[in-house]
Amino acid sequence: MVIRKDTGTAHNGLSDWYWQRLSAVLLLVTLPLPFLLLWGVYSGALNQFALLDLLDHFLSRLFHTLLIIAIVVHAYIGLKTILEDYVHPPMLRVLLIGTMLVAMATAGIWWLALVWAWGG
Amino acid sequence: MTIRLSGVGIVSDMIHLQIYRYDPEKGGEPTMQSFEVPLTKPGMKLLDALNHIKWNLDGTLTYRRSCGEGVCGSDGMNINGVNGLACITPIAGLKQPIKIRPLPSMGVIRDLVVDMEHFFDQYRSIRPWLQSETPVPEHERLQTPEDRAEIDGSYECVLCGCCTTSCPSWWWNGDRFLGPAALLQADRWIRDSRDEMAGERLDQLEDAFKLYRCHQIMNCMECCPKDLNPTKAIDHIKRTLLARKS
Ligand code: SF4
Ligand code: SF4
Ligand code: FES
Repeated sequence: MVIRKDTGTAHNGLSDWYWQRLSAVLLLVTLPLPFLLLWGVYSGALNQFALLDLLDHFLSRLFHTLLIIAIVVHAYIGLKTILEDYVHPPMLRVLLIGTMLVAMATAGIWWLALVWAWGG
Repeated sequence: MTIRLSGVGIVSDMIHLQIYRYDPEKGGEPTMQSFEVPLTKPGMKLLDALNHIKWNLDGTLTYRRSCGEGVCGSDGMNINGVNGLACITPIAGLKQPIKIRPLPSMGVIRDLVVDMEHFFDQYRSIRPWLQSETPVPEHERLQTPEDRAEIDGSYECVLCGCCTTSCPSWWWNGDRFLGPAALLQADRWIRDSRDEMAGERLDQLEDAFKLYRCHQIMNCMECCPKDLNPTKAIDHIKRTLLARKS
């Protein structure tokens, strides 16, 4: 436990902290929107075609994109922090965080592809 | 809890305590030992009860103390699950039996005495002294009252370790995370107008483990016997780092 043999400072952490907060603010703005849609549907204010029109709208897609980015960034940093907290062997930690990054990026891109109807 | 004066002297209520006992040299498992101590004066503090045990009941009970008034920081312990200084913790208001344990997560040397080596190593690592390149003035380095006020809320720390040893992040990653006490002092020197190494100090701290393991759980602030707020200091360091980068 002695830190006289300190390996120095990694000069990291600030960007994680910054993006975690930025994505939290973004989530605060964008996350209520899908619930608003749900409410619209269940209250009968939106029928199927109105809902599809709304989802197709450029602005909706833009907000949807922001939402996806915020969710992926926020969840990635959050889970990464948990892994850093609890998984101590460095190699295992790197492996787990790397795997998680690939999985979450794939999910995010797939979701974006649906929203923007890439490839068809 | 009342104190009544009777014909034969002070008749008082008894205080019930359960104290963690462990002697690594003897081996075996740690045990909780029960004691009963008379409540001898109004405003009696927990340290008075421990002293009564040591001086009258069991001289082998081992704990650190010195000043007896919350200044030296040596009698930090876990009191009914919350860290604090025995010398300034009133008996009144503590649920009985009062359960006393050593500071959590620390190696026990004996009974309530823990190994503070790593804690002070971490403190040393933030270079807790004035660093300045301007020549020493003839008299002293002056501060305006406003500059002086900047370090209110941090210079009062007595390094008791109550905060750091109650921090879950420090429990999990204490080998790398500096913990609230050391970070509060790091902030103290970053804020000090006479210190000229704020940049180097921030460089030293910008690290996902040394600094950013703090997840604002706030245990540190809850238990600080000097009512200091390390969480706020840590946040100030993070904000200063952000400010110099953006
Ligand atoms: S900040 Fe408070 S709890 Fe922490 S070491 Fe200083 S005095 Fe003790
Ligand atoms: S606020 Fe930070 S330093 Fe204080 S107990 Fe929580 S994690 Fe530890
Ligand atoms: S004995 Fe000095 S702080 Fe308690």
